[in-house]
Amino acid sequence: MRNILAVAVGGLLGTGLRLVFDLAFPHADHEFPLETLLVNLAGAFALGWLAGGLWRRPSTPAWLKAGVGSGVLGSFTTLSAVMASLVVLEREGEHLTAALYLVISVLAGLAAAAAGLWLGSRIGRRRMPDTITDSGETL
Amino acid sequence: MTALSPLVIATVLVAGSLGAVIRYLLSRRFPVRPGHLPGGILIVNVVGSAVAGVVLGLAERAAVSADWRLILVTGFCGGLTTFSTWSVETIELLDGGRWRAALLNVFVTLVLGFAAAGAGYLLAR
Repeated sequence: MRNILAVAVGGLLGTGLRLVFDLAFPHADHEFPLETLLVNLAGAFALGWLAGGLWRRPSTPAWLKAGVGSGVLGSFTTLSAVMASLVVLEREGEHLTAALYLVISVLAGLAAAAAGLWLGSRIGRRRMPDTITDSGETL
Repeated sequence: MTALSPLVIATVLVAGSLGAVIRYLLSRRFPVRPGHLPGGILIVNVVGSAVAGVVLGLAERAAVSADWRLILVTGFCGGLTTFSTWSVETIELLDGGRWRAALLNVFVTLVLGFAAAGAGYLLAR
């Protein structure tokens, strides 16, 4: 129950942060959705960094993983907005922008997650041995 | 989208929070297992993309107001779906030598997500 509450509160924060980005950097239907891309890259990097480091420590409470991982970062980033933007760009006939947006989102997103995981595990290893594996359930 | 009322903003946040809780419960119900696709996350991402497509289609023929579009797409679907977990889980699959599952996770999510959003949009508009 505590974990679910943490996710709910984290979800409020993550959605609020994304809303701020959306309102601060709006894009027209035919334009490249830069704000969603930046939000997703930042979120993927941050979650990778946590999953590679802090999440692997046994002292990290489950509610923190749930609240920050599933809650804040999970809601901050979005896949539905990417898909919705692709549909809208296709409707507008912006096929090249749609293709670029999809390829950049996927490749840069995976690179950001990998960089985060790598950096997080490097920093984590200096403090304690890397023997506890994350079951991944709260990612 | 110029003057958002505090009530609309609050509803967007609550909708996002609700989406996040549903995603969390489904990711617990269908957790990451070695050699399997991250099922819960795949489900929410595809369902969320479908809902976003439907709302976009409805909004186009003014069946849904701009406020409700924001609440449902930015709030609920944004909270329900996730990019960060999807990308980190994909890299963890790769890292564990499960490169086929990683590739599958990328392609299945993208193909089903886009198909769901596109179909929802075309059916609803």
